[in-house]
Amino acid sequence: MPQSLKEELDALTAVAAHNGRRFRLLQRPAWPNAARIAVNLTVDFDAMLLRRLNNEPPMELAKGEFGGRVGIWRLIELFRTHGVKATIFTPGRICELYPRALAAAVREGHELADHMWEHRVPKEPAVARAHLSRTKAALQLISGRAPIGSRSRYPSALLREVGFLYNSHGARSHLPYLVCDDDGDPAILELPFHFAIDDAMFFSFAWYASANAGQRLFDPDRVFDLWWAAFEHQYREGGYLNICLHPFVSGRALRIAMLDRLIERMRGAPGVWFATCEEVARHCLAQNAPGLLTASAAAATAE
Amino acid sequence: MPWKQGYTISDEISLADADVRWPDGKRCAVHIVVDLNLASGPDGITPGDLTSPAAVFAANDGLDGLLRALAGSGLKATFAVPALIAECYPERIREIVGRGHELAAHGLKGEDVSGLSRTEEAARIKLASELLTAIAGERPAGWFSLPRQTDRFAGGSISANTIELLLEARYAYMGNGLADDLPHYWVTDVGQRRAILTLPYYYHFDDQFFCMFPAQGTGLENADMLLRNWRAEFDAQYRRGRFFTMTLHPQHSGWGHRLAGLEALLAELGRRPQLWNATGAECARHWQSAYPAASQLGLEASIWQDYPDSLS
Repeated sequence: MPQSLKEELDALTAVAAHNGRRFRLLQRPAWPNAARIAVNLTVDFDAMLLRRLNNEPPMELAKGEFGGRVGIWRLIELFRTHGVKATIFTPGRICELYPRALAAAVREGHELADHMWEHRVPKEPAVARAHLSRTKAALQLISGRAPIGSRSRYPSALLREVGFLYNSHGARSHLPYLVCDDDGDPAILELPFHFAIDDAMFFSFAWYASANAGQRLFDPDRVFDLWWAAFEHQYREGGYLNICLHPFVSGRALRIAMLDRLIERMRGAPGVWFATCEEVARHCLAQNAPGLLTASAAAATAE
Repeated sequence: MPWKQGYTISDEISLADADVRWPDGKRCAVHIVVDLNLASGPDGITPGDLTSPAAVFAANDGLDGLLRALAGSGLKATFAVPALIAECYPERIREIVGRGHELAAHGLKGEDVSGLSRTEEAARIKLASELLTAIAGERPAGWFSLPRQTDRFAGGSISANTIELLLEARYAYMGNGLADDLPHYWVTDVGQRRAILTLPYYYHFDDQFFCMFPAQGTGLENADMLLRNWRAEFDAQYRRGRFFTMTLHPQHSGWGHRLAGLEALLAELGRRPQLWNATGAECARHWQSAYPAASQLGLEASIWQDYPDSLS
């Protein structure tokens, strides 16, 4: 083999090896009360912020506005009907646009977590830190407690530095896993989120600038069948499912009706633990990396 | 930022299901919109659009089919019509009005107005209104800016001036908004509480995005999914006591088996008790009297703070 090809292969092998040290996949968790599966219902409450950021036209913003005026309230009502707690990933700006919906969610016992300040992670580290701190403070003002999780591409080190315990963004495993720092030590827990269990992938037009020929305009029955299959798979294995809902998408009446049937059917299976992301994260960390819990508690006290 | 300008068009919370009231104690409102736009692109209707096979079908068999389906179920609709289409087919427009349906404006020639100057757009609104009034004998109460199949976004395009111009032209309502699934107010001036009544629209209930979308021959045919969407939304809104709307095109829903599916659905709606089937103008009139903007709109002072590192 020529020397240049050998060097290229060596370099790529080193990349894979380094990446392998960045994540620590975990064994099947022993869930509380011998539950077979943990289900995180998660809500990405970005309303019109991403459409505004992308400079989309007025009707697109109005489409997002539905999520704040109508959709979020319907999701809260749906969760109350079933007695389940959810995690609401909330951009900081939403605290200024829809404070009453967030206050209602907190009263119902749902968790508020970070979803960036205005739905972007700034490239400049100082600005990223300012956005994260500002969102953390805004959420804390409404919920009365510091958020400990995020759904974002913020660097793990930064999330850990502000006292966060988990992120819910990647999908490197069906199960929660640890993201490690450069020394190979655990930095944060990842609660896997997969686009196949994301309502926007099925019910949204022009999502991430997709072309007209690739539009997502499916009916609720199809998604009910797909997501039930996803639940059954993890239920059989004894695992984890993270369902991502956008208020401007899932808050539409026909989809709330579908989710009502889906949650009802999942509740009918014995041993389903509906929990907030915080509950699942603390449980997994206590079993696998208790040092992170202690460090986060110390950071919170220091603040 | 004054109030929530650039982010929201209406107030913070929609009306709760329990607070929705329809005339005569009816349970749920149904608004059917028939869009007669033939424009294939943002410039509005072209000679090619008027001579396409779909245009001939839409003006004849397709429209006949929709009118028959509506008559068979005893339902009224609002027809959103570009002034140019009314000019081309005045007899058909008079027939629609004669059957008790409402005629509303849908642009001068079904064009995208987002790039027009304020003066140009105002002139087009004025001309379109005059042409439709002359043909129908009555000034339209509603204005629609519905999307075209080829639009980049499926919500309908307006300019920064459109809503204010519609208020100046004394339109009673804007026919397609996405911020609610009830009639709601689109605010143009928070201090003055200046707003236009807006009726809900959602492209998941618009046939053009399910019938050979985005183009004849290469697009996807999902008429079955559309029917399931319509049924699921209607059932859910009927339970909640809110508002169901659907958008039809003669060239899409008027064809063969699609028409058969629509007829079956409309017949079901027609048989459903306690349904308030109204035209756009009737919906707007009811809403403005039951929920006037002056008392209904909750426009709290903005708590928005500007930061140099984020959007205003």
